[in-house]
Amino acid sequence: MRKTSVQISAALLLGLALIGGACGGRNDSSSAKSTETTASDSKEVAFIDPAADCTDYKGTQGVTGDTIKIGTVRPESGSYAIYDNVTKGLDAYFKSANASGGLTAKDGKKYQIELIKKNDEYDPAKTPALVKQLVEQDGVFALVGNIGTETNKSVRDYLNENCVPNIALATGSTQWGDANAYPWYISGLPSYATEANAWVSYLKEVNPTAKIALLYQDDDFGQSYKAAIEKAIKGTKITLVAKEGFNPLAGSTTEASVTKLSQSGADTFIVGVGGTACPLTLSFVPATWTPMTMISVTCGSKTALSLASGKDEGVYMAQPTLDPADPADQSNPKVIEFATQGAAAGLDESAIQGGIASVGWGFGALFAEGLKNASTVDRAAVMNALYSLNDTTFGLLRDEVTVNTDGAKDPWAIEGFRIVQRENGAWVEKAPVTNEEGKSNSFAGN
Amino acid sequence: MSSASVLGQQARRTPRAWVLKVVPWAVVFVVLAIVPFEFPSFRVEQFCFWMTLAIAACGLNLLTGYNGQISVGHGALFGIGAYTTGILITEFSVPLFAASVAAAVVCFFFGLLIGLPALRIKGLYLALVTLAVATLFPLILEQFSSITGGSGGLQITSPQTYRGELRERPIRLESPFAGLANDQWKYFLFLGVTVVVFVLSRNLIKSRVGRALVAVRDNEVAAESSGIPISRVKILTFGLSAAIAGIGGSLFALNQGQLYPSSFTIVLSIYILVAVVVGGAASIVGPAIGAIFYGLFSDVIIQQLPDRIQPARAVILGVLLILLMLLAPGGVVGGFRSLQAKWVAQKNFRRARS
Repeated sequence: MRKTSVQISAALLLGLALIGGACGGRNDSSSAKSTETTASDSKEVAFIDPAADCTDYKGTQGVTGDTIKIGTVRPESGSYAIYDNVTKGLDAYFKSANASGGLTAKDGKKYQIELIKKNDEYDPAKTPALVKQLVEQDGVFALVGNIGTETNKSVRDYLNENCVPNIALATGSTQWGDANAYPWYISGLPSYATEANAWVSYLKEVNPTAKIALLYQDDDFGQSYKAAIEKAIKGTKITLVAKEGFNPLAGSTTEASVTKLSQSGADTFIVGVGGTACPLTLSFVPATWTPMTMISVTCGSKTALSLASGKDEGVYMAQPTLDPADPADQSNPKVIEFATQGAAAGLDESAIQGGIASVGWGFGALFAEGLKNASTVDRAAVMNALYSLNDTTFGLLRDEVTVNTDGAKDPWAIEGFRIVQRENGAWVEKAPVTNEEGKSNSFAGN
Repeated sequence: MSSASVLGQQARRTPRAWVLKVVPWAVVFVVLAIVPFEFPSFRVEQFCFWMTLAIAACGLNLLTGYNGQISVGHGALFGIGAYTTGILITEFSVPLFAASVAAAVVCFFFGLLIGLPALRIKGLYLALVTLAVATLFPLILEQFSSITGGSGGLQITSPQTYRGELRERPIRLESPFAGLANDQWKYFLFLGVTVVVFVLSRNLIKSRVGRALVAVRDNEVAAESSGIPISRVKILTFGLSAAIAGIGGSLFALNQGQLYPSSFTIVLSIYILVAVVVGGAASIVGPAIGAIFYGLFSDVIIQQLPDRIQPARAVILGVLLILLMLLAPGGVVGGFRSLQAKWVAQKNFRRARS
């Protein structure tokens, strides 16, 4: 009888689980490949052909009537929560678009965007379950503006196998350049290798015998920088004299590493870390060490640099975008449009000037660009449009930065930077915009 | 005669009692068989994770529930099983099944390794030492990043042809049946392993060896004077318990396809212990019930709550655990048993009066 009660309880429990969780069900289609190719695609050489590349292709999942469901995953809490501001900007872009009728597709029809957000706390162990929920339970059309290199990598195979677009990743890791293997990913940032190459190119001009001390995040983000720097300095008189790895999830600070690097005799300090660790690193630099400091583009916002305790003065950066906090950029029509429409969509003054929300705003704009140019509102068509951008721009990119993509040959939308130096909370141009069209993959080290 | 044995005799005699014994199991198996066809694949994969937790809890239950040695470090053993499997498959191209067996063996030896000093420390102190092991484990993973992939994680890959080229891609358990999706196949595979582990554990507990385990737990001095080699029993139980946790970890690795140190913190050890305690220590099925309860709480109920409350899930779990311990210290199984005993006692009382 004792055992019986246990068995009954087990049976009840399982029954409850079945009832309780059965919302959602399953939508396996038993048929094999899809027939989602459209007549107009057959004239262009499409980069993605869902009939050939995808099993169980659901090209219009998430599109119902005049609404498109979009998903995004970001660290809403935890030590990288500063990046949630990106998502705020993305959200504001869609809100603003919705308020003026919606995003326009090629046939003129307007679509309202419904953005569903999930929090993975920048932990790649958490991301797969959340992304799968977005795709299988919430039924999103695409992911847009997903934050984090390791987090996006943890779902790369799943999304590509299921032919779900991941658009405007908030990471420029060099692995997103492999569009042959993973065509459903397209980054919204420049490749970190191109950025590192821009630093080294500038160094070659102003300090050809530079001695670099490198602090790098010990994951794909930082290692992309490290490999590209090592590749770019080959054959030059620039040397990498010291390097320190840093684990962003360990909960420690970079203080000890910075102290070590300050004793290396280097005259150049490259900070290949992101999040709040970057400005904190600047604050740890001892007064006795005055290297030429270069920071990542993910660190250059007003919000981030305000945490540097004033030690952001004089740092260098490779900059592809306009900075809403820089008086020199505030008269630019793109910044004005962002400031007015962003405010109308609910962004406050510090978010607008902060420089992080504007990045998310740009991601929304990139998605809008893909939707506008796609032959139909279909996953493959949108990706194909994004991989064949022609001399366009989006978001708050600097006017001289050109945007061109060409399938796997040129999978990077942003490849242009100018070099700037921080002066009194604004940027002074040190070298004008150089566009390295199609060369991003070649800068990636190994 | 105890009421349990009276009822046991009754069960053999009346068809009604026999039905009461068999039907619940039949319902359980039917439900388990239908589940993977009713839920989307990400849910099915979550159920697979619950099963790996159930296996680890079964292992811990042998050690803590039946043998009285507390371990708050089984998450580390789970992790050793997971990483061993991952590294063998990725670096050494070991086939999946062999890698799992190897992981269990490796964990067995780690269990012996911990079991040896455990002879000298008991109770709270043993708990603290295992706690320390569990806390250090993710740090060790990050330290030896050249082998484990460090904080960037370990992708468990094998060379597969994809989009025209041979590439290193995450492993997948391919379904050999046309009507069965990959995740469903994985579910049944895991279910099979879970059932085997639980049945073997049950057989062990009911055997002489099992009685020796319990004797050592209840009274070491009496056990020793009955001729039970307590050191050997305790060390081997640790080893076996670790091997079972390692099997759970190995299946976890096969389910995820990628491993991160953040999945193997002290929190995991606590979850496994929670599963044992909530289900009911020193019961065979308890760990499985506990794992399902924990899984329901963490993956289903918490997700339904608004986003703002979610970071407080540990607090909510803590409060629920305290309530459970006040109302049913023997866990779910213990709670049912005491309810059952009360019902039988009342029935006998009424029968005696009439």
